[in-house]
Amino acid sequence: MLVCASPPPLPALTGLRDDKLTLLSSSPGLGGTPGETVRHCSAPEDPIFRFSSLHSYPFPGTIKSRDMSWKRHHLIPETFGVKRRRKRGPVESDPLRGEPGSARAAVSELMQLFPRGLFEDALPPIVLRSQVYSLVPDRTVADRQLKELQEQGEIRIVQLGFDLDAHGIIFTEDYRTRVLKACDGRPYAGAVQKFLASVLPACGDLSFQQDQMTQTFGFRDSEITHLVNAGVLTVRDAGSWWLAVPGAGRFIKYFVKGRQAVLSMVRKAKYRELLLSELLGRRAPVVVRLGLTYHVHDLIGAQLVDCISTTSGTLLRLPET
Amino acid sequence: MLGFLSARQTGLEDPLRLRRAESTRRVLGLELNKDRDVERIHGGGINTLDIEPVEGRYMLSGGSDGVIVLYDLENSSRQSYYTCKAVCSIGRDHPDVHRYSVETVQWYPHDTGMFTSSSFDKTLKVWDTNTLQTADVFNFEETVYSHHMSPVSTKHCLVAVGTRGPKVQLCDLKSGSCSHILQGHRQEILAVSWSPRYDYILATASADSRVKLWDVRRASGYLITLDQHNGKKSQAVESANTAHNGKVNGLCFTSDGLHLLTVGTDNRMRLWNSSNGENTLVNYGKVCNNSKKGLKFTVSCGCSSEFVFVPYGSTIAVYTVYSGEQITMLKGHYKTVDCCVFQSNFQELYSGSRDCNILAWVPSLYEPVPDDDETTTKSQLNPAFEDAWSSSDEEG
Repeated sequence: MLVCASPPPLPALTGLRDDKLTLLSSSPGLGGTPGETVRHCSAPEDPIFRFSSLHSYPFPGTIKSRDMSWKRHHLIPETFGVKRRRKRGPVESDPLRGEPGSARAAVSELMQLFPRGLFEDALPPIVLRSQVYSLVPDRTVADRQLKELQEQGEIRIVQLGFDLDAHGIIFTEDYRTRVLKACDGRPYAGAVQKFLASVLPACGDLSFQQDQMTQTFGFRDSEITHLVNAGVLTVRDAGSWWLAVPGAGRFIKYFVKGRQAVLSMVRKAKYRELLLSELLGRRAPVVVRLGLTYHVHDLIGAQLVDCISTTSGTLLRLPET
Repeated sequence: MLGFLSARQTGLEDPLRLRRAESTRRVLGLELNKDRDVERIHGGGINTLDIEPVEGRYMLSGGSDGVIVLYDLENSSRQSYYTCKAVCSIGRDHPDVHRYSVETVQWYPHDTGMFTSSSFDKTLKVWDTNTLQTADVFNFEETVYSHHMSPVSTKHCLVAVGTRGPKVQLCDLKSGSCSHILQGHRQEILAVSWSPRYDYILATASADSRVKLWDVRRASGYLITLDQHNGKKSQAVESANTAHNGKVNGLCFTSDGLHLLTVGTDNRMRLWNSSNGENTLVNYGKVCNNSKKGLKFTVSCGCSSEFVFVPYGSTIAVYTVYSGEQITMLKGHYKTVDCCVFQSNFQELYSGSRDCNILAWVPSLYEPVPDDDETTTKSQLNPAFEDAWSSSDEEG
């Protein structure tokens, strides 16, 4: 098969689709492939699914051309200095959501997929970094934008314990409110409030070291123990701690089980591949509490399944290795 | 391309631009070519390849059977079909051959009169190329995973050796003994590499997930431990900093020495700024890495956007270094690819794998224009393949 999904027939283009069109138009032989919309079937058991009007591709990260000659043509004009300048149409960008196609917009959108009701509002909505990769196709750009957001203090990145690579992204405001609510009336409330007030705004890292806590921020050992008891810090190494979300254990349990369940749905299929639309149309197994869409974003972004664009839509296939 | 040539001719543009543009175009067109072959000598998997930096003509290969072979890459025949022949080899019948598998070979950086090889038999041997005798042998207590000699240094002849022990040893070729030990790692050292920019800067990668940068003149220890999260550097204790979430298998400096690439068994490749140890956060996606020992990958040299060639299972994945996008996967080997080297003069890639083959990836050229000369085309056709039938009705 030659190239990725055909350009959408809508005339009003957002910035994301502009890029896609630029790339597609430079590829020869695209010709008259019929317009094909990726229709997103909402699973009836998936109450949180919302069809975003942002783009008609729920998984734009899958749009990657597999054709070597396209890549050649793309880099060669750049190398030889021939640049095609495309006039950008008027781009409406909501300053709160960020530009379409940016990490900020992806994070806002994915936050809406998180099932708040499942945790009785005790957990802030958590989004994974791999899910952002499924919406923003260029990973380096996504990483850099997330880093900027982290430096500005809008989001916190948290190490989720099950995989050293999996980072959870939480809005700082949500994190603060939930943590304060969770530690209300408990003996460690004082230490937690001091931590939220002094350390969180100052240090945007994932982890904290012993001397940083004691000298720079003036925490005593007993206060650090309080923080670990409260669930705000988890032990990483002797003298260093990861930032954590209190009560995230349940989320991690559901997440790991759900991820395995969705992967096994693909594994049990014939030839170990499933059309995305078919997967999302199936009944979610009972184990999947966070929603099929949530898990599919994560699987695609973490490259646990290969995304292949076919004429019937995106196909998810388990990698051979 | 013609525009570039005329611009260069009239002096409107720097000649280097044309060279870089053409090199990039050739690297983007790398593929297997039926006309280019490397003679198959090894009976075991090929662990390491090295092309001499002076002329780019001779290539050394070391295999898991302990055999070291020297190939001549230059095509001096007038035909397009060419097999790179082995000039000489240190085979199993050689008295000084390594007893176990050869893990790393490296040419002496300044001329082809000497090369070094290190092996699982706990030795580092220095060979004289012309007589194929060992000039010197360094013995260690543990198996040697990797060694490297500085490609730019004129002030010292130190060879950095990474073994199964946590200490990096520096052997001096002039004096014939180990002059230095660098302490700091906690587990085996899987890869070592000198910086191509500064004489005394060394990078080491270990199975304890850490990559350390050293200045070997400094007595007090390593300069930086690379931290993948780019945490605050003011920590007095850097013990928690890890470069990868698994063993760090391979190290490669870019050709200008300003950046360092590392691969780890957490299936990630990271690009670091080598002057301050900062993770540039370029994301290459999943780079499958199951190797229990070192993985030898390489970076292109002389292109406008540099490419990195990483062995990925039985294929070689090609990425642009600074933007992280995957260009292609070069498929051709039957088993796991262990090593690859780039010949920057002709933009060719040679890769060695466990299926005992070395494959040459050559930029695909334009199709040759068919000759108008009838006689030459006729003579090239083997009489066995000539058609015996005729379309005329009279002859049967």
